Amino acid sequence: MPSSAQYLDTLLFAALPYTVLVIFFLKTIERYREQAFSYSSLSSQLLENQHHFWAVVPFHFGILLVLTGHVIGFLLPRPVLWWNSSLPRLYLLETVALVCGLLTLVGLVAVVLRRAGNSRVRVVTSRADWVLYALLLVQVFTGVSVALFKPWGSSWFAAAMAPYLWSIVKLNPAIGLVSGLPWLVKLHLVNMWLVLGVFPFTRLVHILVIPNQYLWRKPQVVRWYRDRRAGRCGASKG
Amino acid sequence: MLGRGLRAACYTLLLVGAARADEAADFFRQSCFSCHTIGGGRLTGPDLKDVTTRREKAWLTAFILNPKGVIDGGDAYANELVQQARGVVMPTVAGINAARSAALVDLIEAESKLPESQFKGLSISSAPFTADEIAQGAALFKGARALKNGAPACVSCHSAGPQRGLGGGRLAPDLTKVFERMQSRAALAGWLQGPATPVMGSLLKPRPLDRAEILPLVAFFESTAQVAAPADTVPLLRFLVLGLLGTVGALLLLDSIWRRRFRAVRRPLLAAARR
Repeated sequence: MPSSAQYLDTLLFAALPYTVLVIFFLKTIERYREQAFSYSSLSSQLLENQHHFWAVVPFHFGILLVLTGHVIGFLLPRPVLWWNSSLPRLYLLETVALVCGLLTLVGLVAVVLRRAGNSRVRVVTSRADWVLYALLLVQVFTGVSVALFKPWGSSWFAAAMAPYLWSIVKLNPAIGLVSGLPWLVKLHLVNMWLVLGVFPFTRLVHILVIPNQYLWRKPQVVRWYRDRRAGRCGASKG
Repeated sequence: MLGRGLRAACYTLLLVGAARADEAADFFRQSCFSCHTIGGGRLTGPDLKDVTTRREKAWLTAFILNPKGVIDGGDAYANELVQQARGVVMPTVAGINAARSAALVDLIEAESKLPESQFKGLSISSAPFTADEIAQGAALFKGARALKNGAPACVSCHSAGPQRGLGGGRLAPDLTKVFERMQSRAALAGWLQGPATPVMGSLLKPRPLDRAEILPLVAFFESTAQVAAPADTVPLLRFLVLGLLGTVGALLLLDSIWRRRFRAVRRPLLAAARR
């Protein structure tokens, strides 16, 4: 007879993911159809620009590199394990990953302090933003802790977590791959599902509308419509 | 028409029987093989060859289903087994149920009749391991030599032996003294053939360790148990310091890349006017 721990594992690592994925897809599509103009991160740079750089830039560089690493581990686990078959290469990858995680944490803490500390920015911060920041703080803090105290994540992610995530995709959850992992790793994983669950209700939707086409569109020639010497507007001589 | 139907029914029964036997064999490998062999001698638990001739099937099924319950019930044979295992009580196996327990007993009976069971285990001599075998084991552990069936290197999750550089993995237990805990080469080899923990079991089931890899790994673990102390915190501190230095460096780099960034309108105007 299954124990209560087994029921909890089934709930957290099989039922929760599918519940979250259903909410994620339905709400994301519904919001885009009904409130397309709400697909934005609603920048607050105009309201406060002194601390903005130290919050947003480290956070975005860090999180983009960390997420890219996770996606590579998920899609290409074998090349990752090959890379890690040499200890110096493994140490290099893990150190870079830890630095990116710490950059994310520094940036996120600065984001939260700026939001809480500046009255003008605080006014435009919604309740959903605070829930999101709390979840992101848990996610990034546990992620850095896992990198530091439960190494080597790049290897065991490719070996155990990637097959678990694929088992979710294939509608046959292999709970055994994650049920025996330390609680810190489980917390990071469960919180990831929660972040995905709140994704369509928060400013995170801006991830879906970043101007990716900038990377492949044809170059555009931009000319000043201004006579610089005269310091006034005029026809372009370009 | 009737003959075809009968044939189809027989094939179905054969397929179901084969699937049940396969499932039982997989379950034995994952949950029992780390402590028991069938014809390979005693590990932590007794050799199960011909166990159905020593005890009734119903008793065996009940014992597998709930070992502690049978022992606590005062069963004399069960308590004798505990004494032989130097006080180690067989745990209730995760995922066991009455059908699986009965299938395991049938599997043990069938395997006992074979000249050599697939669960006989490895026979490892008691002669000292060579330096080459220990070095091969170290290479397998650290990933310098890839495991044949594609399993990740042990160092992904475990540490063992002296900690150089940033050390080994710390997700799973330190294996420096695992040989002492398993108490014998045969027991350690048995565990490596069928690890009983959920993560290791799930991880190694599709890509088990090759028999030729187990001997050098046992040699490596025997050597670490004799000479090395378990992992210390120095590699962790080295990793933390590297991470912090890297972060400070990255922040300085970002600042220098965007040193001409827009900072404010009013403040620079005021500063210029004051100058």
